Formats: sequence, C-alpha cells, structure tokens
Amino acid sequence: MSPAISLRGIRKSYGRNTALDGLDLDVGEGEFFCLLGPSGAGKTTTLKTVAGLEEPQSGTVSLDGADMTGVEPYDRGVAMCFESYALYPHRSAYDNLASPLRSPRHRLPAAEAHERIGAVADLLGIGALLDRPVGRLSNGQRQRVALGRVLVRPARAFLLDEPLSHLDAKLRQAMRAELKAIGAVRRTTTLYVTHDSVEALALGDRIGVIREGRIVQTGTREEIWHQPYDTFVARSFGRPRINLLPGTVTGHGTFLSADRFFEIPLSPPAVRSAAPGTPVQIGVRPRDLSLGPGPVELTGTVYITEVLGRATEVTVRLGGSTCRWSRRARTPPGCGPTLR
Amino acid sequence: MKRRLLAVAADGALILYFVFALFPVAWMIILSLKPANELFSTYFSFTPTLDAYRTVLGAGSDEGVPFLRFFVNSLVVSLGAVGLSLVIGLPAAYAAARWRFRGSENLMFTLLSFRFAPELTVIIPLFVLYQKLGLFDSYVGMVWVLQLVTLPLIVWIMRSYFSDLSPELEQAALLDGYTRKQAFFKVALPLVGPGIAAVSLLAFIFAWNNFVFPLVLTSSEAQTVTVGALSFLGGDRPKYNLTAAAALVSVVPPLLLALTIQRYLVRGLSFGAVKS
Repeated sequence: MSPAISLRGIRKSYGRNTALDGLDLDVGEGEFFCLLGPSGAGKTTTLKTVAGLEEPQSGTVSLDGADMTGVEPYDRGVAMCFESYALYPHRSAYDNLASPLRSPRHRLPAAEAHERIGAVADLLGIGALLDRPVGRLSNGQRQRVALGRVLVRPARAFLLDEPLSHLDAKLRQAMRAELKAIGAVRRTTTLYVTHDSVEALALGDRIGVIREGRIVQTGTREEIWHQPYDTFVARSFGRPRINLLPGTVTGHGTFLSADRFFEIPLSPPAVRSAAPGTPVQIGVRPRDLSLGPGPVELTGTVYITEVLGRATEVTVRLGGSTCRWSRRARTPPGCGPTLR
Repeated sequence: MKRRLLAVAADGALILYFVFALFPVAWMIILSLKPANELFSTYFSFTPTLDAYRTVLGAGSDEGVPFLRFFVNSLVVSLGAVGLSLVIGLPAAYAAARWRFRGSENLMFTLLSFRFAPELTVIIPLFVLYQKLGLFDSYVGMVWVLQLVTLPLIVWIMRSYFSDLSPELEQAALLDGYTRKQAFFKVALPLVGPGIAAVSLLAFIFAWNNFVFPLVLTSSEAQTVTVGALSFLGGDRPKYNLTAAAALVSVVPPLLLALTIQRYLVRGLSFGAVKS
C-alpha cells in the first residue's frame, strides 16, 4: 500500500535561500508523524508543499499514491492549521469554524454543520466563545479556533503547524494529552510540525528530524532516542542535553577520553564500527548516569548543582570535560565532594 | 513670562495663517452672495442675495448656461470613472501585491507615471483620436480618459492594502475548500473594505476636480462643472457671483461623500499608511 503522504526529492528555494534541499518523507496511513526541527529548517515549507500552497522547483508530492503536481490546494483534501492561525479577522469564531463547512467542497446542511461545530468547540473548550469576533480572543483561544477549523471537516490528512505553541504551559500539556485522544486525529493521517522535542516524543507514532531542508533521521521514538543518526539528532532530544564526550577508540576496545582522564569499555558492535585511533564522541544521556557502583565507573568532581524540584541536575567535572547528570534524589550532593 | 509670550506669538501666527488660508473660501462665499450690480463696487458691505444660486441652479433668470446638466455630467463621469477603475484596479492591485513576475515592477511604474506625467503632453493626440473615434464630448470618452487619473491611484494604494494582508488568510480559504476567486471575494476583499472606501473618495475627488480633459475633450454634451463654471465668465461682462456660486455648489458632492464615509476614511488612510 502506498503511503498517505509521500514526498520525493523536494527542492524549494526563495531567491538565494534554499528552504528544502531534496527532502524525502513518507507518512503512513493513519499515522501521527511529528516533524521536529529548529526554526528555519523548512518545517512550514514542507507542510505548505504538501498542501499545495507552495510549488516545489523539483520533486513530487503524492497523496494516497496519486501524484499531486498541478493539483490545486482545494482539490487535495487536506486540512491545515497555520502557526499564525490565519483566522478570518472579520468573522466570529463560529463563522471561522463554519468556513470549511460552507465551502463548495465540504458543504454540510446548516443544521448538521451547527452540530459538528458545537461538538468540536466543546472538545476544544471554546464552546462559550463562539459568538465573539476572533479579534477579541486571546492567542491561546485563537489557536484552538484554528485547530477547530481543521478538526471540523473531513480530511485526507491533517497538517498541523505548531498548533500548541502559543498556549500557556498548563493548557499545552493538557491539550497535548488530549490531542491524540481526539477521534478524528486518531483516525486521520497527521503531519505535525513542532520545535519542541517533548511534544514530538509524546505525540509522534514516528518522528522525523529535519535540518536545513533535509530529513536527517526518521524513526519511532525509541529508535530516535537510542540510536540517533548523528549528534544533531542526539542533541535535539532530552533535557538536560545528552553529554557528548570527545575521545578516541583504543586498540583494546575501550574509549579513551581526549584528555586521557578516563577510559570506558565499549560494546563489541561499537568497536567493530571504528578502527583503533579513530576520534569519536561518546554520548551519555544525563538520566542514564547514577551514583554508586556499576558496570562502568567514572570519578569526577561536582561543579554545579541545580535543584529543580522534581529532579536535581548536577554538572560534574571529568578531567577537562564536564558531564551533566540528572537524578531524582531529594538530597543533592554538595559542591566539592568527589563522586564515584 | 517669556514662554507665555512665545505661546501667544505662536497662536497669533497660526490665526494669521488660518485667515490667509481660508480667505479665498470666504471671499468666494461673499462673491456668491453679492447682487450683480454691487459686484464690482463693494467689498464687505452689500445687500446679500441668493440670486446667484437661483440662477446657477436653473430657477432664476436664464443665463443660457445649463449648469445643472454640467453638474449631472460631473456626477456621471466621476462615478463612472471610479467604478470602472475599481472593477479593473482591485484585481490588478491584488495581483500586483501577490505575484511578482518578470516586468511586474515596470508595469506598476508605467501605471504610476500616468499620475505624474502632465496631462497636457498627451492632450493634443488624444483630442485627434477622440475626434476620429467619435468619443469626443461623450460620457464613455470622459470615463475612459479619466482612467489616467483614477486607475493608477486605486491600483497603487490598494496594492499596499493587499500587501498588508497575510497571504495565509487566502491560503486558509483555499484549504477550507474555496477556489482562488472565492478566496479573493470572500476573504481578501472584505478585509480591505476601509481601504476601498478611502481610495474611492480620493479618486472621486481627483476625477471631479479634473479640468484639462473636459476642457479639451468635451464641448457641451459631456461637459463637467469645472469647465462649466467658467461659462459664466464669457459674454459682455464676467459674472463672478455666478462663477463663485457654481464653484461652491460643485463642492457639495465630494464634501457629502467625505462626510458619509468619514468613519472608514480615518481607519482606511491610517491602515494603508503603515507600510514598511
């Protein structure tokens, strides 16, 4: 079966700026796919290319196996939530939600439309705001209206551009949890763009990491977390960030830090992939370190301790390099003592 | 003390300027109220009469000048010119704001050049053309030639209004299932409503005030007030009171229009002005 959304070798530039540089992407039927990347990586351009709002200079977009070259946006049957909301400022929230249901493509009888809008508005907690002009809504409320305009209509795919970014922290967390539970979202192929790795990990059936107009890696959250393709992907996930310690592979299958301060035994596959003397970086997630005896032991000095309520983040000096370590303990070690 | 003196001096200067600027208007009102026999013999003391207005509006003695017809001509020609310019200019402005293509800037500049090139440079060829085409002294001919005045204005100002609108609004409409045409009419156009009001008024005033085109390209059928008001100056002696009354009467339509759409005007003018 062909993927619901498929991009092949998409190239798009604006003048001298290249937005998409040979991008390939496949999103399966019914999948919730998160596209993660820093700003300017080409996330929004990717969505607009799928929607047909931007025409790529080369490459093909297909939806359900059908080539979409030259197909107008209104014939593609996808719904999109813009980061800028793109709500019609001269209309009320209700009329904004009703807009797709009054269009020639998705027209519903008024009574039926009214019912759908009511249901979606209740789902998003904006039922009481429907009569207000969108100019009188807060950013968070506008964002939910924009999301509602997507959910209210049937679509082949949802394209969501940072739909939670302007909500306050509490609401964002609640909406994040609810978003995937919404029936329409569960059933519909969704391409979700975000710069928040937590959101991507929480929501994505699969995650794609985009950088400078190319997909660096796609995979499930486990694959991305445990086998990042490169240091960019490794750094994109997890707070505090992964520790990347420079060093070399030795002849007897260990990792020796650049300042020769510590040595760590390496697993056989890792040794096989790099010849002795190769300069490498070793990545250790702060959460995977613990205090006390273990299979691999390092000795360092506590440099900074930050108590952040639920967790404590400790920066440890290991010779010339520093290493972040996150633990759940209530009593953090004070500064100065040697840790083993 | 010194500051107070300065303030008084500033106020005095402003009042002087105010008198200076408004004197021509006041002088015209005075002229229009003078009876014909006191026209040249008095300044400010005379027996005021509305005779001039009666004559101009066709109720008094017949002076052989069909001023009311000129007035209607002006209305038809100006409204026609603005209407035609809106029909052509709004889509043009939208296209110019949204799509850059090879030569689009040159095209826009050419359009703008119609505004600053003196009308006199083209008036003789136009006169010959109009004579040959049978457009001389006709409504169609006047509406057509006034496009030189109204169209560039409407296209240029409306383009900046459309540029201020986020293209994502129309993109959202496309994804909602509307065609490009519907996106233009249902989303873009209502949002520039205040701009349309402001620019229409401006274009109307320019069209109404135009003098050279009706002077050369009309004779009696399609002549407008600007030229028509001058007819009172012909003959054995100039009837300044009638000319003044005619001029004052012809100020009324733009003034009324401005007052009715004032609400949009302030919003419209300031909205379009903040363009980076």
